[in-house]
Amino acid sequence: MRKILPLLFVLALLVGGGVSAQDEVVTIEFWGGWTGPDGDIMRQIVERWNEENPNIQVNLSIQQWSPLFDSFVASASAGEAPDILAMHPQEMAQFIELGMLDPVDEIVANSEVIKEENYNPVAWERQFYNGVMYAIPLDLAVHGIFYNVDLFEEAGIEAPPATGEELIEIGRLLTKDANGLHPGDEGFDPENIVQYAINMHTNHHAFFQWWSLYNQQGGQLISDDGLSCAMDVEKSAAAWQFLQDLVYTHHIAPQGQTDYARDFLSGRTAMLVDGPWQIPALEAAREESGFNWASAPYPTVFDQPAVWGSGHNFTLPSMADPEKRDEAVQFLEWLAANSAAWLESGQLPIFLELVESEEFKAMPGRDAFMEMLPYQVLLPNIPKHNEIFASNAPTPMMVMAQHIILEQADPLTESQIACDAITGILSIP
Amino acid sequence: MRVLPRARTTDTQQAAGQAWRFNATPYWFVLPYLFFFVVFRLGPSIAGLGISFTNWAAIGTPQWVGLANFQAMTRDPRLADALRNTAIFSLVTVPLLIVLGLALALFLNRQKPGRALGRVAVFTPYVIMSTVVGVLWTWLLDKDFGLVNLALSSFGLGKVPWLVSQDWALLGIVLTTVWWTVGYNMVLFLAGLQDIPAELYEAARIDGADSLGLFRHITIPLLAPTLFLVLMLTIINSFQVFDLVFVMTSGGPGTATLTLVQYIYTTGFQFLKFGYGSAIAVLLFVILVVFAVVQTRAYRRGLSGAQ
Repeated sequence: MRKILPLLFVLALLVGGGVSAQDEVVTIEFWGGWTGPDGDIMRQIVERWNEENPNIQVNLSIQQWSPLFDSFVASASAGEAPDILAMHPQEMAQFIELGMLDPVDEIVANSEVIKEENYNPVAWERQFYNGVMYAIPLDLAVHGIFYNVDLFEEAGIEAPPATGEELIEIGRLLTKDANGLHPGDEGFDPENIVQYAINMHTNHHAFFQWWSLYNQQGGQLISDDGLSCAMDVEKSAAAWQFLQDLVYTHHIAPQGQTDYARDFLSGRTAMLVDGPWQIPALEAAREESGFNWASAPYPTVFDQPAVWGSGHNFTLPSMADPEKRDEAVQFLEWLAANSAAWLESGQLPIFLELVESEEFKAMPGRDAFMEMLPYQVLLPNIPKHNEIFASNAPTPMMVMAQHIILEQADPLTESQIACDAITGILSIP
Repeated sequence: MRVLPRARTTDTQQAAGQAWRFNATPYWFVLPYLFFFVVFRLGPSIAGLGISFTNWAAIGTPQWVGLANFQAMTRDPRLADALRNTAIFSLVTVPLLIVLGLALALFLNRQKPGRALGRVAVFTPYVIMSTVVGVLWTWLLDKDFGLVNLALSSFGLGKVPWLVSQDWALLGIVLTTVWWTVGYNMVLFLAGLQDIPAELYEAARIDGADSLGLFRHITIPLLAPTLFLVLMLTIINSFQVFDLVFVMTSGGPGTATLTLVQYIYTTGFQFLKFGYGSAIAVLLFVILVVFAVVQTRAYRRGLSGAQ
């Protein structure tokens, strides 16, 4: 017995070691760029998962999208990557072309939850590049109008604008100078406006508005072979002219605003064009100070409805640890079915079960955005997306937008310059 | 323990005698800095030079493209914009920061009440993070509701489209930069001023020198090393301006405030063209080296001239 005891002890250790190896905690690195209140909501969701799944812990890292991708590129160049990386569908191509993302077709084929019939088709089709699925969708967003109900009532306006003419007409009534005069009134002073009718992001994101209005005329931007600009410069100029006139002819939109959300909340602008992600802040203001807001669909200024859109999705970087892939997918499947909490972020749900839930239907302000979802137009998901569309860099889009909106440059000339620049970028292999 | 008797030697003899003996101690003190310098500065610089001859896209194998990136620079209108803006920015900010820094240092070097408070007030902005400064001044310079325009309008002046006009945006960045960093130059100048022996001023005053004479013949010559240092640092910093621009205008409107370092960042990290980005970084490096060499020569000539 004395001889057997140590042997048993060693055996027990071995067995014990085996058990503890099975109990080993897998940590999934999950990166996202939600720096607003939506970040807190995603943290809560992850915390819930972590409590329910002690063996698979998800470590959520949040930083702004642009530096987030810097970090992704930097870590990938060192041969490492997070297990799950959130992004927007239009940003995938550049990373796919560099071989930084893995396809998800096989995962989807084997999944009971992440299946086409469970999702909004608009969202589903966004996840493909060259016929291969590269991401699992989380939500969608489109622009819409938020308006200050009190200022509307004060001006005697009953409904938000649905067309370009209505926007200008209503806009005049909602714009006031220091003497309470409206544009068009005698003695109106455009240099001393204290309340603007609308903010359409007339600075960095002005080309998002252009994108909506250009697509309302049915325009193409990039040639089918992806090698040149296919912009219809006449249509482009018409879209820009409408936006430029809002600022310089009708004086109902500011030349550029530092914090459009703050100016809307403080009543300096009566309408704000933005995405549903503003809803949590607006709801908070309603609770705190009775801020009376409502939302309306993006107006149709030209022939057909079309609106700038985006969304979030989950990609699986190819340099992530392959051993953790199964656990990462498990988490994403759970997230797809359990993201009711994400509804609070304002972003539009695309998992049909959630879309049809009573909880979502009772939420304020979402209808106007859901209505426009079928008309969502994404910026092109092309490898050189950033070189053409980055809004914090001197891209052809930003330069065109700022010259036209901030400098009152000629829309037709600037459209042609931008188109030439786009061709210049695309023609280089 | 026996102490060996030691022959008395003069300093020079001792130095000559020990010259061949390697003394490791000082190198140990330098080592921590040297480590970080090599890993985070020297290494990446050399790597960057190598990358500038490739088409590296952050991942994958870089391909040698020879001088293609440098040739591309010659026909890149954005790079021309960035070079021009950086040059204008430096030409305006460097004199402003030197003159204002020196003036503030002279003013706050006098034995007057409120001196300490003044120094703190001027220096404090420098310790604020650049992104915070950027956001703060973006609000202050807002065209319609910013405090700066509000102040201007109380003097009967019109609204200045600070950050939303090509003509004004760079000036907006210059103003912010001066407010943010002038305190640093002031502190360096203050240190330099306090090194000047008071006896020199007393002697000159007895000889009948007026304050302009004191400034020209005592302050300026004795402050020359500090002035040189501050000039170098200010030029290098202004050529590397990035964070304020990125936060306040992202290089806009159009390309009106695009600077070299922002363009390097954009080309590398946003467009994933690390080869071309590195080539521009090499260009910036060459520009700064030329400046440093010219300045050092001018300084030495100035010194030998003074002697």
